[in-house]
Amino acid sequence: MTLIIPLLILLPLFVGIGMFLAGTKAESLVGLALGASGLVLALSLLLLFQVCGAAVPDSATNGATIIARVGYAPDWLHIRLPVSVDGHPIYWHLQFGADGIGALLVLLTGIVGFVTMIMATHQIRERLVSYLALILITQSMLLGVFLSMDLLSFYLFFEAVLLPIILLMNGWGNKAEALKASRKFLLYTLVGSVPMVIGLIGIALQSATPVRPSTVSLELLSAIAKESQLAAINASPGDALNSVSILASKDQWIVWILLLGFGIKLAILPLHTWLPTTYAVAHPNTTALIASVVAKLGVFGIIRIVIPLTPLALSTYAQMLFGGLGAVAIVYGALVALSQSDMRKVLAYSSISHVGFITLGLMSMNSEGLSGAAIQMFNHGIITCSMFLILAMLEQRRGPVSLCDEDCGLASIYPKLAVMMVFFTLAGAGLPGLNGFVGELLAMTGMIRVSGLFTAIAVLGTVLGAWYGLRIVQRVLFGSNGEHKSKVHAQVNGDLKATEFAPLLALACICLFIGVRPQDSMDLIENDIKRIVSVSEPSAKSVHSEIDQLAQTQP
Amino acid sequence: MAPAITLILGGSLLLAASLVLKSGKARDVHGQRNGMAVASLVLLLVAAILGWIRVVPDDLGQGLFRFDAAALASERLALLGGLIVILMSWSTAPRAHLGEYYGCLIIMIGAVPVVGASNDLVSLFLGLELISIPTYIMLGIVKNDNAGAEATIKYFLLSAFASSFFLLGVSYLYGFVGSTNLQVIQSNFATANRLTSLALVLVMCGLAFRVTAVPIHFYAPDVFEGTSLTMAGIMSYLPKVAGFVALIRIMGTGLNSQTLEIVVPVLFVCSALTMFVGNFLASAQNNLRRLLAYSSVAHTGYLMLAMTALLRENADPNVLYSYLAAYAAMTLGFFACLGEIEAAGGKTQLVGDLSGMFYRRPAASIGMTVCLISMIGLPLTAGFWAKFLVFMGTVAAGTKDPLSIAMAVLMAFNAVIAAGYYWRVLSKLFETSDAFVPLRVFRPSLFVAYTICVVLTVVWFFVPAVM
Repeated sequence: MTLIIPLLILLPLFVGIGMFLAGTKAESLVGLALGASGLVLALSLLLLFQVCGAAVPDSATNGATIIARVGYAPDWLHIRLPVSVDGHPIYWHLQFGADGIGALLVLLTGIVGFVTMIMATHQIRERLVSYLALILITQSMLLGVFLSMDLLSFYLFFEAVLLPIILLMNGWGNKAEALKASRKFLLYTLVGSVPMVIGLIGIALQSATPVRPSTVSLELLSAIAKESQLAAINASPGDALNSVSILASKDQWIVWILLLGFGIKLAILPLHTWLPTTYAVAHPNTTALIASVVAKLGVFGIIRIVIPLTPLALSTYAQMLFGGLGAVAIVYGALVALSQSDMRKVLAYSSISHVGFITLGLMSMNSEGLSGAAIQMFNHGIITCSMFLILAMLEQRRGPVSLCDEDCGLASIYPKLAVMMVFFTLAGAGLPGLNGFVGELLAMTGMIRVSGLFTAIAVLGTVLGAWYGLRIVQRVLFGSNGEHKSKVHAQVNGDLKATEFAPLLALACICLFIGVRPQDSMDLIENDIKRIVSVSEPSAKSVHSEIDQLAQTQP
Repeated sequence: MAPAITLILGGSLLLAASLVLKSGKARDVHGQRNGMAVASLVLLLVAAILGWIRVVPDDLGQGLFRFDAAALASERLALLGGLIVILMSWSTAPRAHLGEYYGCLIIMIGAVPVVGASNDLVSLFLGLELISIPTYIMLGIVKNDNAGAEATIKYFLLSAFASSFFLLGVSYLYGFVGSTNLQVIQSNFATANRLTSLALVLVMCGLAFRVTAVPIHFYAPDVFEGTSLTMAGIMSYLPKVAGFVALIRIMGTGLNSQTLEIVVPVLFVCSALTMFVGNFLASAQNNLRRLLAYSSVAHTGYLMLAMTALLRENADPNVLYSYLAAYAAMTLGFFACLGEIEAAGGKTQLVGDLSGMFYRRPAASIGMTVCLISMIGLPLTAGFWAKFLVFMGTVAAGTKDPLSIAMAVLMAFNAVIAAGYYWRVLSKLFETSDAFVPLRVFRPSLFVAYTICVVLTVVWFFVPAVM
């Protein structure tokens, strides 16, 4: 069963490319696309079970913090690059594999891809086959990112996601503004990701010693990083060559460059302006995919590369800054969402706000925060996906949804849709018992050990989150004063069809399941988080003496 | 030297053939055109076979020419570019001067390996001039109007000016060592002083013209605009290969730290200026030819940055060769696509002329899309590895010199600026317009030319080692 991983990446890729080349006329291929996507979902579930069942590798044996529990790295996947650096030939050994966090996101990609494709058959009226093909290709690239276990494959897939996304934006988005918006998206993302490759090369080349060639394998790199970081932390005060500050300043440029790249992808506060335009221009069905999975690439990059490989430099220079930015983003996103009337924009800014929680969890660098961030990645993916899908169905029935419209009062016309919308709004607002609560609570628990101030700001954000969520529900579903009923009955398309309702119901079940039994998903990622924390927490503590003071002052 | 000799002799034969070709009314234009193109391709094929079967001796000797890695790489690059360029010329060569055109073109292609194999300043200069002089003639004959004449005169005067700089630098090198043999010169670099650095900087000034580096770049937009598309493609590639190979030849090895302290900052400044000037001016252009000219200037900037890593022996010259190969595929491919559109009756002077081209000429537009994605440097194209390798070399040099990493970041931001204007061209292709007329004239040679480029661009991504 080692072929699951290559199948996961290649199956959607080949089916997608084949369908894309087959042209737009071949309507019969829709079934094939759905089948392929369903197979990807099945495979990702299978992978998840394999990862669960696989023996947890003993981290004491080689010290690596990133270990693939299900791996695929055959020897023939060995590419010679036409260059030698400092006299050494450079090889690129492709390695793929899944740990708990990766498997969770693979599952998310599988679910979101399948659901958006089912919905697309209702939503997309023109060139449906090409649309599905591009979604399949996007899925393949995303799976590549989540499954890659070396820096170069990670980066390649990370960059390659851009191409299908831009085609999706242009081909099926708002025609008038798509070109402009996709240019903004492309340039913004490239500003981050092109320099990022320099940082990744820097990490790889730094790993070379006279006896050991440079490597791109995440497993080896994380072992090397752990060794050197812990040596620096535990060094005696007089050891001038091996101190925390020297190591941190050596890695400083790498951290800044990587955080710029990942920060733009996850739309951290001053770098977020691409997000609302992109979300507003792309078809909401496409946005469901972008917002739920593509925007997670940045978070995944930080948890996979920045925290395990350069924890000291991260905590020295950027931990508090990014933590603060995350906290501000929560409140800022919520406030802007409150002031918008276009529902696409409301959801876009609410996404910024939610990603703020994830950033907060990441920057706490302790086990609660990191597990919170990892779980929240999945949860937010599911919730955002559902919200954008609901928006897509509303727009299909009513045209653009504005919160200021007179005729908002859709609950009486679309009761099923209304129920779903209320459910996911509450999940997003963090109602206990639903999945949004779990991640946000954990992220804040992690952060309070680091900074009480940031946590306080974040708590403020949860209140605002409930406010704008309920504002959507009130305005759209029940009218601005609760009595309005829609005046336009002529265009009414009827409530959700069974094939529209079923995926939403499934997503709702996932929300409920994680909300009620978070332990299952926690078990999945627990070991990976523990290993990462074994290097990240000492780093954070060695730099910031104030960490955990809150806990210590209490008896 | 067999391939180079074949090409240069063959080129001379084609030149001579122009004397006996029938002119006037009885002339069989199509026959002559096909014959000339086929003859050129056969020459190229013979040269390639001769290069293939050549056995390189273990002892390369100290003579005028040496067959080391640089020679072989330059030969391969010349043959690759030559194949595409001849295919592009098939239907676009000037009817009135077929013999002269193909003769000059073949001599130019043959001169690149002469530069690459030179082990002596004199033979190196000979090779460089063997590229320049046919270029003057070709510029003059491909377009017989005011713009063409302006381009020719501009190129001629500047080329002579740059050659004088080159010769001045070379004369200092000779004065320093007392020999024109490059191996002797390089073995004396260990004791180099300020004067050597001056000589090398002068040499770089001279070669800056061929590679279109700032400050001697400004002829490029005028020449590209004033000449035919095929000629612009030739000018953006062959002189650049020759220039960089010559740089590698003269100062690729053995520079001591004192010389590096002067040469590397000069290259840094040059490279930064070249990137910025190229990219900023390209962003401001609406004229497609000028945009491509400035984009070619920007690519020179990236290559010069790779040169600094190479001089400090952090990376091997393969970085440059791979970049040039990828550059050949994407740039010549783009020119071939434009050529096909023009041959089919479309306009390609302004960026706006390409509006909706995807619906008028799908194949060429897809070709252009792949080439543009490669120029941006996104994955799934050879352009990605090209930029990646430059970054790799520069970061490797950065372990001792933080400035080098700063330059790499600068280049990354430049690549993003470049992505902006490439994207502008790319999005024009897919603009929906109401009144589009399909262009139906089919030119097999141009189609084959850009198909080769597109296939190479994609294949090299998966097998970078053969780039």
